[in-house]
Amino acid sequence: MAQFDLTSRMGQYLDRHLVFPLLEFLSAKEIYDETELLKAKLDILSKTNMIDYAIDIRKQLYPNEEVPEDLKQRRQHVVAQLQELQQEVQPILKIMADDEVMKNMENMRDSKTLINFLSKDYKFEIEMIESLHKLAKYRYECGNYSVSTSYLYFCMLVLPPNDKNYLSVLWGKFASEILVQNWESALEDLNKLREYIDSSPNQFGGNSLQLLQQRTWLIHWSLFVFFNHALGRELIIDMFLYRPHYLNAIQTMCPHILRYLATAVIINRVRRSALKDLVKVIQQESYTYRDPITEFLEHLYVNFDFDGARQKLHECQSVLFNDFFLISCLDEFVENARLMIFETFCRIHQCISIGMLAEKLNMNPEEAECWIVNLIRNARLDAKIDSKLGHVVMGAQPLSPYQQLIEKIDTLSVRSETLCGLIDRRLKARTDIRWGNQDF
Amino acid sequence: MSRFFAGSDSDSDSSSEEEPIQRAPAPVFTFSDDEEEVKRVVRSAKEKRYEELTNIIKQIRNYKKIKDMSSMLTSFEDLQKAYVKALPVIAKEESGQTPRFFTRCLVEMEDFINEMWEDRDGRKNMSKNNSKSLASMRQKLRKYIKDFEEDIAKFRENPDQPDDEEEEEKHEPEPDTQTEAPAKAVAKISKQIVDDEGSSDSDDWPSDSDSSSDSFDEDEGKGTMRERFLKKTGPAHEDDEERDRRKEERRKERKEKERRKVKKEDEEDGEGEWEFVKGGIAIPSEKPKMFAKDAEIDLNLVIKKLSEIMAARGKKRTDRREQIELLHELQNVSDQHQLGPAIYVKIKFAIISAIFDYNPKVSDAMKPEYWMKLLERMSEMLDLLLSNPQLFVSESVTEETENLEEPPYKIRGCVLTSVERLDDEFTKLLKECDPHSNEYVERLKDEAKVSEIIDKTMKYLERTNAPSELCRIYLRKIEHLYYKFDPRVLQQKAGEIPRDLYTSVQEMEKLCKFIYAKDGTDRLRTRAILSHIYHHALHDNWFQARDLVLMSHLQETIHHSDPSTQILYNRTMAHLGLCAFRHANIKDAHNCLVDLMMTGKPKELLAQGLLPQRQHERSKEQEKIEKQRQMPFHMHINLELLECVYLVSAMLIEIPYMAAHEFDARRRMISKTFYQQLRSSERQSLVGPPESMREHVVAAAKAMRNGNWSACNGFIINEKMNAKVWDLFYQADAVRAMLTRLIKEESLRTYLFTYSHVYDSISMATLAQMFELDKPVVHSIISKMIINEELMASLDDPTQTVVMHRSEPSRLQSLALQLADKINNFVDSNERILETKQGNFFSRGMNQGNFRGDRQNYRGTNQDWSRQRRDHRKEY
Repeated sequence: MAQFDLTSRMGQYLDRHLVFPLLEFLSAKEIYDETELLKAKLDILSKTNMIDYAIDIRKQLYPNEEVPEDLKQRRQHVVAQLQELQQEVQPILKIMADDEVMKNMENMRDSKTLINFLSKDYKFEIEMIESLHKLAKYRYECGNYSVSTSYLYFCMLVLPPNDKNYLSVLWGKFASEILVQNWESALEDLNKLREYIDSSPNQFGGNSLQLLQQRTWLIHWSLFVFFNHALGRELIIDMFLYRPHYLNAIQTMCPHILRYLATAVIINRVRRSALKDLVKVIQQESYTYRDPITEFLEHLYVNFDFDGARQKLHECQSVLFNDFFLISCLDEFVENARLMIFETFCRIHQCISIGMLAEKLNMNPEEAECWIVNLIRNARLDAKIDSKLGHVVMGAQPLSPYQQLIEKIDTLSVRSETLCGLIDRRLKARTDIRWGNQDF
Repeated sequence: MSRFFAGSDSDSDSSSEEEPIQRAPAPVFTFSDDEEEVKRVVRSAKEKRYEELTNIIKQIRNYKKIKDMSSMLTSFEDLQKAYVKALPVIAKEESGQTPRFFTRCLVEMEDFINEMWEDRDGRKNMSKNNSKSLASMRQKLRKYIKDFEEDIAKFRENPDQPDDEEEEEKHEPEPDTQTEAPAKAVAKISKQIVDDEGSSDSDDWPSDSDSSSDSFDEDEGKGTMRERFLKKTGPAHEDDEERDRRKEERRKERKEKERRKVKKEDEEDGEGEWEFVKGGIAIPSEKPKMFAKDAEIDLNLVIKKLSEIMAARGKKRTDRREQIELLHELQNVSDQHQLGPAIYVKIKFAIISAIFDYNPKVSDAMKPEYWMKLLERMSEMLDLLLSNPQLFVSESVTEETENLEEPPYKIRGCVLTSVERLDDEFTKLLKECDPHSNEYVERLKDEAKVSEIIDKTMKYLERTNAPSELCRIYLRKIEHLYYKFDPRVLQQKAGEIPRDLYTSVQEMEKLCKFIYAKDGTDRLRTRAILSHIYHHALHDNWFQARDLVLMSHLQETIHHSDPSTQILYNRTMAHLGLCAFRHANIKDAHNCLVDLMMTGKPKELLAQGLLPQRQHERSKEQEKIEKQRQMPFHMHINLELLECVYLVSAMLIEIPYMAAHEFDARRRMISKTFYQQLRSSERQSLVGPPESMREHVVAAAKAMRNGNWSACNGFIINEKMNAKVWDLFYQADAVRAMLTRLIKEESLRTYLFTYSHVYDSISMATLAQMFELDKPVVHSIISKMIINEELMASLDDPTQTVVMHRSEPSRLQSLALQLADKINNFVDSNERILETKQGNFFSRGMNQGNFRGDRQNYRGTNQDWSRQRRDHRKEY
């Protein structure tokens, strides 16, 4: 199953700390060698300050070896540094401890008045923010994500958006929120970050490459939010498919994201219209990236090869099962994919034998019949079952020319009326102005 | 040497054929002139000034004869100056009266110019330079002559009166009217003898007429030399008459020659001949000057000599050929004395630029022998530069900081510019040749050498590592690389040869990426991208090529770039189209090629030849510029192939579309060119079997319209078409197989569109059999048609048939539908008007009939558009 695993590709665009959940997941799935995974973890940890965790993993990897001296030393060093940094920002920490002040702060309009307020009453200096930022980073490196979140929140309140640290504060906050699994605020941060990146292209010196990189990171990090937040499945389509910048970034930098986009579109029953656009993109990128999920869509909507689609659906299940982000929507996916096959089938056919349908949907005939009956009962399908022959007969009748005509003319009167209304309003507005002029 | 001859040497710019005639008698004349010089030791100021004037007048006469306007203009300017100089003398000696010979000259010139001006045909045939000079000459002369109006009037009253100074009847006022020449010549000769005995100064006048007539004689052969001596020693009327007669004949001949010359100015053989004669004089007279025999030759001396030679560069009187030889000699001298690599390079530079200078016109190609020399020198120099890391050649080195004596050497100069010039010359040279001759092939063999030189330069420049220079040389390299097909690339793709082999695609990748990253100018990058795309397309890397096109967004900006880049863009699009076609992306192929083919002049757009012009669509200059832009033949793209690919893809798109929308009022043409072909064949009352490629495609289209795929296939793929078109593809069989498949599929679609109304149901197995397609393919095609609502039918799974819905509207119904459509349009346009009135510009409807727009933006914006349209619907 390793061939469809994207962890190594995704890893390039994720923060060290964000990779851990993925690795944890992989070790649970046992598709890779356990020791290799542990080694990878250790390697990632070596650059962070999570010494204790590193020591743990070392013990797992080499149970017989002693913990090396330098790790212990580093641990002491880290603790000392932490102390030092904390000393520096003592006033701020005090402020933060005071709930009332924090409440006041939140009500402040902009950072300038806030800074004035703080420096007047609480011995606050703007230089401290720098240290606070450092401390937050340090905390984050140590794995104290929630502490770092609150520090960074403070930073965000105080710093003006054109500060050089502002972007890194945003990223830090976003990462911490993801790691503490606080999806609501993570989503908020995600939107803030996206706005920041999109609205200030000059921030990156007009360097489109850097901009592209930022977007690519954002795309990857946001996956955590999109597949965990309730609204995520809507938002992922909006952001990835209908924001040209992001779609471009996906196409040029990371076509593997198409898997997540495709999954999101498939499980989103309401937005079937997105399918067409998605299929276009998938076809365009088919030479750089393909996996069972994109192939499934291709089979179903480009080639109308139902056998192929069925096969791919089967493969999809195992891919989804082994994907950190997608495992939660496996059932939904299968259900919707079946429905899609069936819908397409119905649109083309007027008479289907249940046996064949069952085969196409990876079900046994009775189950399939039951499923169809449910569909018909829920009025999502205009069809009847011929139980003697074992057929499903579609009830849909072709549009007669008369109906077509009616449909075409249907909206005309409404449109004309609105048009007239608009013109009337404009005329009135004009005369109003004239009246107004006469007053003076 | 007399000044006259020195002067005439310098006018070789005009490179006329007459020059051998004039220069030929030189040895004889130098001899006779020397004699005169002895006599002329003591002269008065008057004599000196007058001699100057007469010399110039002589020149003017000569130019008049050969109609060399530009030289005449300069001489005329000299004359004015000389006359100003002579003014004090004239005031003293002649009591302010203008000398008669001077007036005569002015009158003659005026007449001549007027005559030339009147002769419109002649003027048209003149070279650009000459006609320009003629115009300015006319202006200047008019102005100048005003000062002498009185004298001229006097002169015109009595033109035959002898010159007051010379007391001699002279030339006819108009040199071109020869009828009265014999009589005058007789008089002249007799006078001349008297003069010879009398004043030595007066010699100048008759010697003019002598020199001109002599020169004609010389042309015929040495035998006539006798005549000259005869003439000088005694009166020989018969001889003179005979000579004048001959002169007349020759003049006619010459005129004819001149006319011919104008027509084919660039003809080589005339020049070759000229050179041969010239070599005789120039070398013996100049060579001894090189170094004094016993001089100690060291670096400084050589440098001095070099700068001496180089100082003459670009001057009017310098003999460029001689300069090259001198430099070569200097090279030998410095080699013999082993003066170090720096001076070697320095001299090489000088030689190279001298060779470049040799050709006075930028638009003309060099002569092959100089080209060969240039190649050798260039590669010698580069070898030396490469083997000698201590040589530093740069433009930033000034004359003062040059260091030729010890390492690290510093030399002023720019290798890159020379190499670029060399490359340009090579292209010119190729364009000069007839592409179907052996000569072209011979020249093309030098391509390898040029590439080698560029490689060497690359290596050399990589040492110095200046990004902007590297970019330039890389682009040169790219331009030698991009159009060449490397079969190894495809073999590598097929896995026949190992992955790590370095093919041209990788090389292109490397060079282009460097330029993308380092280039500061937009032009180099644009050209690099286009070449890169071209190369990818050539090697069937369709996706890479397409992505590069889309990412570069060149389609939007290409209209603002220079013509040669636009040509490259057109070439790139042509190949991209071919590549798309090979990949069975018919729509893309059509889109790529439609811009080229729609205009009907792909030949011009690809710079592969000029169309015959209609009613002076372009001026001479324009034509010249356009000619310079043409591609050399070996880089041409086969136009027939291009057109065939375009027509076939248009057929594959258009025919099913036509069948589907047979009664649709809003049907629009996809390909105008294809329609034209179809219509023109329909107009014929009798259609014979197809002959040309176009007829084949049209016949195939007709067969396809009837759903007859095998006939269609037979028309597209047969012996004739194979030889003409398909065999030009690298993997022709694959392309043919692809075509057959597509023809079957599209024929099936057309068949279903056309004949669905006669069927109630049709079995898929039958269809598969009819079109020899696999059943899943038929199923897939029909499903697609049903989903897209092109075919009003549905499948019946248990019986494997297509059941038609028979919902085709009756005539009344379809008319009603059309009416509804029209009303819809009407309301739409009303809304649009209101929108624009409100200043709310929508790009709605932009994509109607705008295929290109679709293509250009199909990565990002297209989705936007469709969304916009959807949003609109919601509003209503």
